[in-house]
Amino acid sequence: MFAFHAGDPPSSRPRELPAGLADRVRPATPVAGRTLPVPPPLAPLFPGGSLRRGTTITVAGQPGHGATTLALALLAAASTAGSWCAAVGLPDPGVVAAAGLGLDLRRVVFVPHPGNGWSEAAGDLLSGVDAVLVRPPGRARLTAARHLTARARERQAALVVLLEGPGGWPEGGDLALSVGAVEWEGIGRGHGHLQGRRAEVRVSGRRAAGRVAECSLWLPAGSGAVAAAEGRAGPSVAGPGDGPEAA
Amino acid sequence: MERLVVIWCSELLEEGAWGEEARRFARVVARAGELCPWVHPVRLGVGALPARGPARFFGGEEAVVSRLAETVGEEAQVGVADGLFAALLAARCGLIVPAGGTADFLGPWSVATLARPDLAVTLQRLGVTTLGQLAALPAASISDRFGADAAACHAVARGESGELVGLRDRAIERRLRVARGEDPDRVADAPPRPSQPGFFGGASEADARAARSFVRVQERLGVDAVLMGRVQGGRDPAGQSVLVPWGSPDPGAGAAGGAPWPGRVPPPAPSDVLRIPRRAEVADAAGRAVEVSGRGLLTAGIERLSVDGGPWQPVVGWAGPWPVTERWWSVRRRRARLQVVTADGAARLLCTERGQWWVEALYD
Repeated sequence: MFAFHAGDPPSSRPRELPAGLADRVRPATPVAGRTLPVPPPLAPLFPGGSLRRGTTITVAGQPGHGATTLALALLAAASTAGSWCAAVGLPDPGVVAAAGLGLDLRRVVFVPHPGNGWSEAAGDLLSGVDAVLVRPPGRARLTAARHLTARARERQAALVVLLEGPGGWPEGGDLALSVGAVEWEGIGRGHGHLQGRRAEVRVSGRRAAGRVAECSLWLPAGSGAVAAAEGRAGPSVAGPGDGPEAA
Repeated sequence: MERLVVIWCSELLEEGAWGEEARRFARVVARAGELCPWVHPVRLGVGALPARGPARFFGGEEAVVSRLAETVGEEAQVGVADGLFAALLAARCGLIVPAGGTADFLGPWSVATLARPDLAVTLQRLGVTTLGQLAALPAASISDRFGADAAACHAVARGESGELVGLRDRAIERRLRVARGEDPDRVADAPPRPSQPGFFGGASEADARAARSFVRVQERLGVDAVLMGRVQGGRDPAGQSVLVPWGSPDPGAGAAGGAPWPGRVPPPAPSDVLRIPRRAEVADAAGRAVEVSGRGLLTAGIERLSVDGGPWQPVVGWAGPWPVTERWWSVRRRRARLQVVTADGAARLLCTERGQWWVEALYD
């Protein structure tokens, strides 16, 4: 666009910012384009390696298996890239854990107790921020789910729905993430401490030819962030009943 | 902290049998709004507006106070102070508290004015009866010992913040729309707030758009519904962070996280920090309750866990106890923390004090 040089009066050219100012200013629209970034370990879960604006992603898992951690982690890279994010209906958000996952707390608002107004609050926020994480109380009504999905598409925001189990979101999502088998490392019977949770995360999509993929993740790793879990090739062997490090 | 004028209509604070108080108060807000823009209801019978603009326009805060008192057409007291909490007390006494004098003004008031009965009782037992005495305590120990809400009260007592959960009635805008005969759910044409501090000077369009959506949620659910998290020093999961209303002043870099607090449970941090801990029972192989001895050791290996009187779950791993001994004035508390993993794969952070176990946080 700025390739025309012949008749361009010099004054219309965007000038270089003075030295010293460039690293102090923020772009007015920090995030452009049709996608939001995700932390690199989560990229294999997404077609194109990033979170598509306007789509709905459901995150499900048995309580205690790390679905909350996974859902919060989806917002991390977007918030550090300058996008505003919101989490609706997480009643007791672990702020230290969120910071450990890489969320920029200056860009994240929490609405922990929306009560019956959860879908209206999420709808309001979808028109103001780039990514909204919502945890419906119990099973969402079809009308509420349709309304929010449509609002996310219309406002080009990403909607992340945290579910307690399968079937909690009547619409289904564009992408469905679910946490399967988990195993805590670092803790024994009376020694060590919780260091990391290895989890098998499965993704299936309505778009992109319904592709199904699975990957092993640390949810979280000892640093508090998510990480790719290496060293166990092939299908997962840990069943849901297996505990960590049975002595 | 914003300087506020508060209008206090003592006859309209509670709804009577005929429901006419809401209608009369809606008239008060409308009349005051004709005189000064940005008048907003705080709760039934109480309205507030920023002081600076009108004071400049009418030639001083005294002039604003007397003009408002004449205009509203009801028995009303008007006061001015920095921040909502002090301005409410100022209005009840019909005072103008000089700018920057909030802490001095609040000093002699009782801790009961915070409307936290449990906290007030505890503080009074410790010999802390006035807001001035509360303000003199170190902030770190308040949040560590009493949690985020008490820390918010402490900031108010110090004159550093004016907002407290419960000061504003989250349903008042809706109630007044009903009283005016409007559609209570229509909020689209509500005027934007004049200033929402707390976000990077508010320059960019994305910031402004986000701020408008937060204000809409606040109008729907109350100003304390939209919160931001801050990480600070602290020993327990609840004390390491606070959730403060969006728009609260930033305390700056003074509160540093990552300090090597003794007795701190190693990371990663739990994803759910329970505001209200759940009662738990911990048993050994023989079904006997397990405790932490005076020397900080478990009396037996842990085999089973029950939460909230629920079914026993087999325990597959545990770590700790991490003893926490605190001296808080003369009250000595001895607590210990334990991480417990049950056979379903769920990990919890437990805390024990005087033989009773609590679930403090979950690793979901």
